[in-house]
Order: sequence, then structure tokens, then C-alpha cells
Amino acid sequence: MSEKPQSYELAVERLEQIIDRLDSGQAGLRETLDLCGEGRDLVTYCTAELDAVGEGLKELKLDELATKLDSAAS
Amino acid sequence: MDLPGPFPVGRYAKTLRDELRKRARVQLIGEVTGLRQTPKQAYFELRDSEGAVPCTIWTNELAQLKLPEGALRDGAEFVAGGGPDYFIGSQTSSPGFSFRVTHLRLAGEGDLLARLEALRKQLEVEGLFELQRQLRRPVLPKTIGVVTAETGAARRDLLAGLQRRGWAGTVVWAFAPVQDRHAAPAITAAIQDLAAQPQVEAIVVTRGGGSLADLWAFCDETLCRTVAMLRVPVVSAVGHERDSTLIDDVAAVACSTPTHAAEAVVPLDCGEARLGLGRSVASLSRAAEGAVPARTPHLVALARGPARALRRERLALNQKTREIRAASERGVAERLGFQRRLATVVLERARRRAEGAEMERRRAALHRAEVALRAHEPERTLERGYALVEDREGEPVTDTAGAVAAERVRLRFADGIVGAEIEESA
Repeated sequence: MSEKPQSYELAVERLEQIIDRLDSGQAGLRETLDLCGEGRDLVTYCTAELDAVGEGLKELKLDELATKLDSAAS
Repeated sequence: MDLPGPFPVGRYAKTLRDELRKRARVQLIGEVTGLRQTPKQAYFELRDSEGAVPCTIWTNELAQLKLPEGALRDGAEFVAGGGPDYFIGSQTSSPGFSFRVTHLRLAGEGDLLARLEALRKQLEVEGLFELQRQLRRPVLPKTIGVVTAETGAARRDLLAGLQRRGWAGTVVWAFAPVQDRHAAPAITAAIQDLAAQPQVEAIVVTRGGGSLADLWAFCDETLCRTVAMLRVPVVSAVGHERDSTLIDDVAAVACSTPTHAAEAVVPLDCGEARLGLGRSVASLSRAAEGAVPARTPHLVALARGPARALRRERLALNQKTREIRAASERGVAERLGFQRRLATVVLERARRRAEGAEMERRRAALHRAEVALRAHEPERTLERGYALVEDREGEPVTDTAGAVAAERVRLRFADGIVGAEIEESA
């Protein structure tokens, strides 16, 4: 796996570049296979990011969050 | 001490009071705090973020103003008309300065707008409008903080907006009063507390619509300065009127409704993003699976390449051989022709040369013949003193018999002709 993307938007931007390059038909065999591998990693990352905000809304009050953090720290 | 005096203090107090009373009468605007009423007077402070002035108003004068019931209360914005005064004290009460109020009215929209405008200009000049806008906003925050009233439509609308986005991350609520004199400090504290949590990637500050006075807490200078300096982006959605509150100017994004705030704080439509990822996966699969098959015809063509190249080379070679042969035959013929032409030229030259010699020889012979001929010409002989005998017709008479027969002859000398008669031979 290549380096982990810094953010969802950077990952999507790179993914679009990769698909543009593949669609252009100019990439050689080795480059195509490398780009496909990198693209799949990016899709995996983006899917995980979407899953993280897709499993059900969690609501916390600020003091609950603070308490949770304190208990985690101790 | 070189100062004048000492003066009796009571007299000095009265002079001070008289001087203060000479100052121009003005109107002040600010928030009423610390209100207390006695039978004779009402006391309060008029305050804003920069300072305060203690005010007093006679109870009877206050009654004459006919303010709405309960209007004069702590936290209310008021305009007070009057001037500075000094109470010189008495046997039972302490002296003190106050702004003696003679007119008092609730601050209207116009007063608030004028204050807001002044504050807005000041913050803008300090560059505080730009700071939040320069922050990077995540398109897909996992945790967002929200400052709003615990009860109210704003909370519900924001949640509905987030759900429409397909977003179901973590919302951290920081509830605060959104409309009274405690609102601004409470909201400020809530925003600071949320920003202090490392998980919180963006903050929404929202409340429903109202008059400018209702929304006044969101024009608070301290609140707005705090928001401007935060490193976490703040999305504001206060009231329904765009740009009516100062927090809209300092926030990263200002929205007109909580629903819009939901779209601003989670810029990514998660449902569409999932569809987009699906399309990306399809593109990648197509590219990966097609990578080898797409190249197969080319590879096959490459594999056939050597045989085809060989055939092409052989054809080219044959062609060259034919050309060389043709060229060599043509070369021999050309060479023969050339030699022929060369021989012709040489012979011609020889001929011309030979002709020239012949002519010369002939010319010399002719010259010799001419000389010889000239030597034989009768004129040459006559010049040497001889004479030619001709008959009457001019024919030469070459012997005696001819002369006798002619009887009369002509004698041709070099310089002319004379007649002569023949006598009988001697």
C-alpha cells in the first residue's frame, strides 16, 4: 500500500488523476498495473472514511465527551 | 508641595460638581446592568465591551418616560440622554460620580445597526474577517461540534440536514442560551470548549430567526474576536437574514439556515460520494483487467514482426539486385557510346588538323606556281626589253612565215603597241 492519504479530499483528487490517466490510454502496462493498485488502495481508504460517518449518528454532550476523554486518559 | 491650596473640601466638591454640569449633554448607548431602584432614584450601569458609566435617574422622571413594563432590566440595550454629575455627599451618604439621566429609551434597530457597523469596520480593519476563511475545511469531518439552544428548531433542522447529506458521524452538542445578556459569554465559552477537543474538526453555531436585538449576542465583540482567532473552522447560521450579525463576518462560512449549515460543515454528499467510488472501482477494474487483453493484438503483431520484416528485407534485396544489374548494363552501353563519341571527336580533330596542313601545303604550291607563272607572263618578258609580235587580230606571230603572211603586224612593248610592216626575209 502506498502512503496513507492525508485527507479524503486529497485521496479523491488523486483517484480522479489516476482514472484520467488510465482513460487516456497513454499509460504503459507497468504503469497501468501500478495505477490500478494505487487506485484500489485509495478506494479502500475513501470507503473506510465514508463508513466511519455512515454507521449511525452519535450524539454527545460536550461534558460527556470530556468525561469520556478523561476516563480514556486515566 | 508647590500646589495651590489647601482648599476646604466641601467647596472644592461643589466646584467640581458645577464644572461637570457645564459639560455638554449627550446620548449614550449600552447594555443596562446592575439595576436597582430606591423610592427616590434608580441606579444602573450602562456598559459595553470597552467600558461603563454609572447612571442615575429620578424615579419621578423615570415614571414620566412611560417605558413598557419590565423594559428597563439588566441586559437590555438602552439609549440614555443626560450629562455628568457629581453628588457631593451628605451626613449619611457617600459622594460619587454619575451620569444624570433625563431621557431613556430602548435602543432601536437603528441604534444597534449603527453600533454594529462601527464594530464591523473595526474588526475588518484588524483583518479578523479573513482568518477563518483561510482555514482548510475538511470535506468529510467525522466529528462536528454544535453550539445552539437545547430546545429549538435550529437543532432539529441541522440534524435533518446532516442526515440528508448521508452523514452519520458524531455530533458534540454544546448547549448555550442564545438570547439574553448571559448568551454571549456562554456561547463564547462553548465555542472555546469545543475547539479544545482534538476530535472536533468543525463547529456550527446556530439559532433561529429574530430581531436584531434578539440576535445581539451574536454581535458581541468578545465572541466575534474569539471565533476569528480559532484554528477550527466555524460555520455560522444565525437568524434568517444574511450578514445581519457580526459572527457571520468572522466565521469561515456564513449560512442563512441550519439546513445550509449542515451542507457547509459536511461539504461532501456521502450518498453521491459512495456512487462515485463505485464508478471509480469499475474504471479501475476495467483498466486492470483490460491491460493485458488490450495489448494482445499488439503483442501478436510484434510476434509476427520478424518474419514479416525478413520478407520485406528480402523483397528489398531482390529489387536492389535488379537495379544494380540494370545499372551495370546501362553503364557498359554508355561507356561504349562514350568511347565512340570520343573517337569521332578525336578523328574529327585529326581530320581538321590534317586539312589545315594540306591547305597550307597547297597554298605554298599555289604561291610557287603563281611565282612561276608570273615569271612566264609575256608582260614580265616585255619589261625586260622584249617585244611581242601579234597579227591584226592580236594573235601572236611566232615564226617568220607567219610574219610574212601577216604583212602588217603589231609590236607589243611593255609600254604600248606600235604597227610594223614585214619586209621580205633577209
